[in-house]
Amino acid sequence: MHPWAWWCWAIGIGIAVSGTTNPLLLALIATAMVVVVMLRRSEAPWARSVRAYLILALFVIGMRLFFRILLGGSTGETVLFTLPQIPLPEWAAGITLGGPVTAEAITGTLYEAFRLAVMLLCVGAANALANPRQALRSVPAALYEASVAVVIALSVAPQLIESIARVRRARRLRGDSTATLRALGTIAMPVLADAIDRSLALAAGMEARGFGRTRGLPTAGTLPVMLISSAAATLGVFLLLGSPFWQTGAWLLVLGMIGGGLGLRAAGARLRVTTYRPLPWRFTETLIAASGVLAAVLVLGVGWLDPDTMSPALVVLLDPLALSPSTDPLQWPTLTLPMLLVVALVLAPLPLTRPRRAATVESTRNDTRVRLLRAQAEPEPTWR
Amino acid sequence: MAVISFDRVGVTYADAERPTLDDISFELPEGDLCLVIGATGTGKSTLLGAINGLVPHFTGGTLTGRVLVDGRDTAQNRPRDLADVVGYVGQDPLRGFVTDTVEDEIAYGMEQLGIAPTAMRKRVEETLDLMGIADLRRRPLTELSGGQQQRVAIAAVLAAQPRILVLDEPTSALDPTAAQDVLAAIGTLVHDVGLTVVLAEHRLERVMQAADSVLWLRGDGSALHGPPGAVLAQSTITPPLAALAREVGWAEVPLSVRLARRRAQAQGLRPAAVSPATVPTEPVALSARGVEVRYGDLVAVNGVDLELAEGTVTSLLGRNGAGKSSLLWALQGALSCSGAIEVRGQDPRRLGAAEARRLVTLVPQTAVDLLYLPSVGAECAQADAESDAEPGTAAALLAELGVDLPPERDPRDLSEGQRLALVLAIQLAARPPVLLLDEPTRGLDYRAKAELRRIVTDLAARGEAVLISTHDVEFAAATSTRTVLMADGEVIADGTTTEVLTSSPAYAPQMAKVFAPVEVLTPDDVARGLS
Amino acid sequence: MTGSRARVPLAVAVALVIGTVAFGWPLFLRPESGMQPEQAPIVFALVLPMVLAVVLSEVAGGRMDARQLAMLGVLAAVGTILRPLSAGTAGFELVFFVLILAGRVFGAGFGFALGAITLFTSALITSGVGPWLPYQMLAAGFVGLFAGLLPRAGGRAEVWLLAGYGAVSAFAYGWVMDFAFWPFGVGNDTGISFDATLGPLENLHRFVLYNIATSMGWNLGRAITNAVLIALAGPALLRLLRRSARRADFAPAAASVASADPDAPDAPAAAVAS
Repeated sequence: MHPWAWWCWAIGIGIAVSGTTNPLLLALIATAMVVVVMLRRSEAPWARSVRAYLILALFVIGMRLFFRILLGGSTGETVLFTLPQIPLPEWAAGITLGGPVTAEAITGTLYEAFRLAVMLLCVGAANALANPRQALRSVPAALYEASVAVVIALSVAPQLIESIARVRRARRLRGDSTATLRALGTIAMPVLADAIDRSLALAAGMEARGFGRTRGLPTAGTLPVMLISSAAATLGVFLLLGSPFWQTGAWLLVLGMIGGGLGLRAAGARLRVTTYRPLPWRFTETLIAASGVLAAVLVLGVGWLDPDTMSPALVVLLDPLALSPSTDPLQWPTLTLPMLLVVALVLAPLPLTRPRRAATVESTRNDTRVRLLRAQAEPEPTWR
Repeated sequence: MAVISFDRVGVTYADAERPTLDDISFELPEGDLCLVIGATGTGKSTLLGAINGLVPHFTGGTLTGRVLVDGRDTAQNRPRDLADVVGYVGQDPLRGFVTDTVEDEIAYGMEQLGIAPTAMRKRVEETLDLMGIADLRRRPLTELSGGQQQRVAIAAVLAAQPRILVLDEPTSALDPTAAQDVLAAIGTLVHDVGLTVVLAEHRLERVMQAADSVLWLRGDGSALHGPPGAVLAQSTITPPLAALAREVGWAEVPLSVRLARRRAQAQGLRPAAVSPATVPTEPVALSARGVEVRYGDLVAVNGVDLELAEGTVTSLLGRNGAGKSSLLWALQGALSCSGAIEVRGQDPRRLGAAEARRLVTLVPQTAVDLLYLPSVGAECAQADAESDAEPGTAAALLAELGVDLPPERDPRDLSEGQRLALVLAIQLAARPPVLLLDEPTRGLDYRAKAELRRIVTDLAARGEAVLISTHDVEFAAATSTRTVLMADGEVIADGTTTEVLTSSPAYAPQMAKVFAPVEVLTPDDVARGLS
Repeated sequence: MTGSRARVPLAVAVALVIGTVAFGWPLFLRPESGMQPEQAPIVFALVLPMVLAVVLSEVAGGRMDARQLAMLGVLAAVGTILRPLSAGTAGFELVFFVLILAGRVFGAGFGFALGAITLFTSALITSGVGPWLPYQMLAAGFVGLFAGLLPRAGGRAEVWLLAGYGAVSAFAYGWVMDFAFWPFGVGNDTGISFDATLGPLENLHRFVLYNIATSMGWNLGRAITNAVLIALAGPALLRLLRRSARRADFAPAAASVASADPDAPDAPAAAVAS
């Protein structure tokens, strides 16, 4: 399966998730997502990343609850318990510590945290299902050089780990301890020097094998197109977020993205390298990508509807308000037909794909070695 | 029709005082295997790089004269433009790999040339079969053995279907069996595919029989090109058969053991066997009992007993993966192992790193790992501090080893041999009674090896117990008096070098093969046996 | 060539403006737009990859020769293994100091590319790809970029300059990342949450409080790590990188042989974007 198809599917569902706080829908989407990952992931190391994202999601929920309770300022009537209030100095004006904690506030926070957690899960699912190396092979031609650098980095990293282990062992032969800060330098220097020598040998190899032979200079005129498109897209987002002219913003965003895509395509024309065993984009891929997009359109579209201007029958059928159930006053969340459709779209890849057998590319073992370096200590928010 | 022609070629690097190559002219006909020989630093790599234009386009420097490759001038064609004419494989294949699996690496060059995906697919399969590596196709490159990596590197340049293959010391890092594999593959390319191959090599004994011509770089920038037997007879590069030819006065060097044996028999040469040397077993410098090294389930060293006597040089031979390195690291105490190790009544494993190196010191395979300071002087001073030695000890040792290095030189700019000497001086500053050397001859030319042999012999004469793990049978034969053979983590033979080496066909040095069943190991032995 | 040489600085300048907007969205998000605070960074995460693609294709594409790309890849590999090595230990972040020193030696354009590519590779290997990745790539790219634009200095002064920059950039990186992902870290209606109905100034005040409460330790740890590592290992590493930069130089004499070469790099790495 094409990695971009998985990403498109997961991003679409992530956007859909961002449009709702209904815990029933969120729970269903999360379950469906985990089911798809479990049934369709490979044996590769990245396939196990969903667990890390689940832990991260729980961490996010816990963190938010903690702040909610600690910072007080709850609204609502159902007081669960009351913390002692601590006065804060002048510069921290507007903030209270402690105070009554209400069920309404806790529920609201939980709903929002749950939404974020499911969004994280979508990202985790894409990471688990899409093969990053294959994704790298199908980057736009304009990014060819950058992707070469990434390919080099991916293949040199495990060699550097070996190099570190070797130099660390060698330190003992000179009678050094390997635990001090000074030892860090004595290990880093030979490793880095080795890495730099390596880069020269690598460059000679690339040059001798024809690297850069089939590329020219960037085409004139592509840069203005790409820069103007980027600026337009940014202005579009700016208008979308910061002004009532959201239609203009949306148009600018769409036009900017299209222009940028065309510009990158034109910029990539200077390159005539070919790809060995390129990944085909088949009809199945289109269907999977479309199911993600459709889910996003469905949720955002229903959320955009105004129940006051609709016929009562449609309101009962679609019920836009059910996407964001009220927490003050507390209200039991309900499921509607469009929501079930969204869940069906999340499950769409199951009939469209076959379960994968063992990972075919064994180089994934190299990645595992880099991943193992990660200390298991505490979950750290990924966006830091 | 000459496929490579050098016309009065000279190369001068920007910061060099004299040209590296000077006025070199030669022509290579299509389909020849040309062997480039010369001591370290005489410009072998420069000459190879000049064939596909890496010199000077990539390395910098000035090239005078004209290099024509398949009719194309390298002055007008950059290396990348010649990628479909010249396949170039650098010294360490792993460092030249761009991708991380075998298949991708083979396809990489063709992707650069813009070959259509369908044609590319077919060529990858053909190349995999040609080099006999089809079963490795999805393996990560880092997990391959040295010989496999080298074959993948050759396959990767072959996929572009060049007419010339340039190889810079393809076997220097390989054990004899792997080297044989690679050389056999190269032989196939010359004989069955008709490629023109230019090959630089230090250990000539393995390749010279296959060469059509030899290009000897004298060291002053000039070169001599001609038939192998004649060039080798003149050159200062002396593989054992060339040394033999010199000793017995043959005008032309026999290129294979078979030729030498015939000629020796025809002339009735029969040297007297070397007198069986007795290896002293007392006083014991290091004693190990039941050493066992495990990595998870893998038993790398399986119950080895070993005693090293003061003043002796012992060789440790065996395939890659036989446990030689593990044994050395275990004896130094740097690798956890079971069993008993004793040096001067102490166990190096129980001591701190600083104390352990005063009992046993080890020079690892990649000696450069030990160096981290910016100058030779700083490294020596640091070594003195580490070993609580008088300031100047390491520098004095370096001078004693007969290597004169200016203290301000950057250790990374030294040649392999100089670097090895520096590391030896650093490690010996602690004055340990036992010295362990792991593959010290890697990348050394004959002169540097002779130098190392002299150093090791001197150290032994001073009472040092030396253990050398090596693949280089000729070096072991000339240097050591005792040889230990390892296989699969166990010691399978232990005796005098003459005994062990002459009794094993795989490890017999060339002289032993030429004069079998007479037990001689080196050309020196032969000379002594004949007089 | 001057016209085409201006391309890289131009692309970087536009990226800087767009980046400022993307990182500063809490300053201008209005409640009447109907956008949730949590959606804002996601929307930008769709635009930023394009901006990154444009800049990277300008900085790397067609201009970097094999040597510079190999150096870029190898240094990115160094950063990639340093990142998981240092994760989990509060603020002990090793990536930035390599990035800063390399940006200083090889120039601003190289620094930007190295920052972006290091974070990207690291995310690929550790499955850390997500909406935060374009932000991280851009922020790390700017850390490397400005390292390449620092004023000239030599000897100890240079090391102090870089160490100081290391500390400042560590805080800046932490702040802009936390600012852009503010609603992700803490809920939407606590006293230190982003609130679209308040003005930019009030929100900035809240952000400062939020940042002190949650991330001060991280940022401080990162700043100290950067400064200390640069002060200790800086001189040696700078020498090492400069030595390789020199060795990778084309000898001017080579031009006498290498005749007209249409896409030879017009200058060594140091000139890419400075």
